[in-house]
Amino acid sequence: MRVPPGVSQSDFSGAIAEFQGVVGKQWVFTSDEDLDLYRDAYSPFLNEPEERMASAAVAPSATEDVQRIVQIANRYRVPLYAISTGKNLGYGGSAPAYSGCVVIDLKRMNRIIEVNEANAFALLEPGVSYFDLYRYIQERKLKVWIDCPDPGWGSVVGNAIDRGGGYTAANYRNHFDSHCGMEVVLPNGELLRTGMGAIPKAETWQQYKSGCGPWIDGIFSQSNYGIVTKMGFWLMPQPEAYMRCTVSLPRYRDLGPMVETLNYLENSRITAGFPDIASPLIGYPPIAQIQLWNESGPPAMTDEHRKLLTAVELGYSRELEAYGLKSQIPYWQLWLSFHGPMEVIEAQWQATQRHFAKIEGAKFSIVDRVSVPLDPAKIENYHEPEFGIPSLRAFSIGARTPWNPTPSKGHMWFSPIIPRTGAAIIEANRVFSQAARDLGMPLFRSFTLPACFWERSFIFILATPVTEDAATNKRYREGFKRLIEVGGQHGWGEYRTAPVFQKSVMDVYSFNNHALHRFHETLKDAIDPNGVLSPGRYDIWPRHLRGKPS
Amino acid sequence: MIRPELGLSLIVVAAAAAGLLGRGSRAEETQTFSAGRAVYTKWCAPCHDPGVTHPGTHALTVKYQGVKSGVLLEWKDLSATTVKIFVRHGISVMPQFRKTEISDQELDALAAYLARNTPSK
Repeated sequence: MRVPPGVSQSDFSGAIAEFQGVVGKQWVFTSDEDLDLYRDAYSPFLNEPEERMASAAVAPSATEDVQRIVQIANRYRVPLYAISTGKNLGYGGSAPAYSGCVVIDLKRMNRIIEVNEANAFALLEPGVSYFDLYRYIQERKLKVWIDCPDPGWGSVVGNAIDRGGGYTAANYRNHFDSHCGMEVVLPNGELLRTGMGAIPKAETWQQYKSGCGPWIDGIFSQSNYGIVTKMGFWLMPQPEAYMRCTVSLPRYRDLGPMVETLNYLENSRITAGFPDIASPLIGYPPIAQIQLWNESGPPAMTDEHRKLLTAVELGYSRELEAYGLKSQIPYWQLWLSFHGPMEVIEAQWQATQRHFAKIEGAKFSIVDRVSVPLDPAKIENYHEPEFGIPSLRAFSIGARTPWNPTPSKGHMWFSPIIPRTGAAIIEANRVFSQAARDLGMPLFRSFTLPACFWERSFIFILATPVTEDAATNKRYREGFKRLIEVGGQHGWGEYRTAPVFQKSVMDVYSFNNHALHRFHETLKDAIDPNGVLSPGRYDIWPRHLRGKPS
Repeated sequence: MIRPELGLSLIVVAAAAAGLLGRGSRAEETQTFSAGRAVYTKWCAPCHDPGVTHPGTHALTVKYQGVKSGVLLEWKDLSATTVKIFVRHGISVMPQFRKTEISDQELDALAAYLARNTPSK
């Protein structure tokens, strides 16, 4: 039997026996064969000694079981690591941040406690996947949408507390922001409800977020201060119609005005759907088209066009721009989507065009104008998550295709946040492409465009492959850490990262001699004095493990 | 596209009627296949149903270059053991699946279902 570091064999055996008493022997896993199932399938330390491994796993089916497991862990000082569905591949999967933890696998806690159509909210347990919630809503013909990331098997709760995002309207895309109320098992086993849920007969737990007094929900995201066992979410009422349009701009210099106009329109809610920036001239697809490119191949390009692209710098050359103008290939193309009654979204599109028309040469086009729900036979024509429909189609990234004959073993996401300006896109490309070239990293090799998951800022989300070759993985890991540092030197930080990189990322958030990190540790000591819960997650270590190599 | 669950239930019924099913009673086999199909639909279909919009199918189609179909449901040389190895170990960007996701019992049913067209040795 594996044993967590610092725990005696007899204590661990005692803890395991007590876990079995709580959940039944069938749901406590201790064999190597069973624990290998908890490895991070995309670990950047694949098959190396540093790969994070669990010492056991325990799968409760109810909140009371979670409380008892946490109490037992405190008695025996056994470190735990909570996962929801364990499917945040590229950000750690189902493996602990600290080798030797007992994984609390919450997959069996999969109750959909409520979906309220009239007030458009849901209350869920952490084992509920986007597929589960979508199926539940469809079976009952409820007129609400979920907002899901690309992989539909992830946990709605887990993705939100990992601060993931999706593709529908702006106020639903940020999954943590769109939550309303939590139930949390604290590291001492006590049960806490946040927001209005702190009122014993709460009638508005999923209707008013902050309750009264300090609003603490944020500390339970990307942290190790509690295990979230229930979480509420605001859902989007099913819109009557959907329209997707493009704004095409001819010149390199149009990038700045395009972003500025987008910001005004999005911040004013004149457009609220997922904005998607592409460059037909550079050959860079909108996110909505990536899966289509992986399935059917990228659009054809002339030899002249391809040759011009080999001589651009930061996505620009005078010759390329002239070629685009001559061939009527837009330098930039902004895909916008609108949800709502047709007469409303038509008016929003009119106003959108009026604002973009100030940019010389702007052209407008309607790609789709459809009523909702979509005809099921046509769903595959769309990027499903933009309609709140979960899918696994995005796994075409990395998988074998005619255009990717060498599939990867996984990927780690490099995902820095940068300002919402055209100048920042160019500057980030300058900084990261130079660094990536120096490091031999397969990122930012051509001009790279950011995504608009969040309002007000841009984010790059770039897959760095995990391979079968340890030397390559080592080079990519070190390059990845260096890119994090380089970003930090320019004031940019990651929004989320895999456990392997959490220290590097949190080191960037260093204002005033790491005041934020020190505060995280102060909280950890107060809330979890025995340091049993998810040690090391986001570089928050209990006192007895600080300063030791992870 | 033919809905796979419909197409497959017809195959199972036809196979049972033709007396092609191996060990166990027909009723038991059909029950196992039905359970296995449910596991397939929940866990495998999003990546392995027919068509290039399913990345697993696309990857296998490219891998086998026409030598055999990329659609797992059509394979006639897929043993139950092979199914279990891939589900518990993963391959390429497909991760392994834990027992809280697909239990051993569910995996047995899935493996029997996917191996239903493969002659037992």
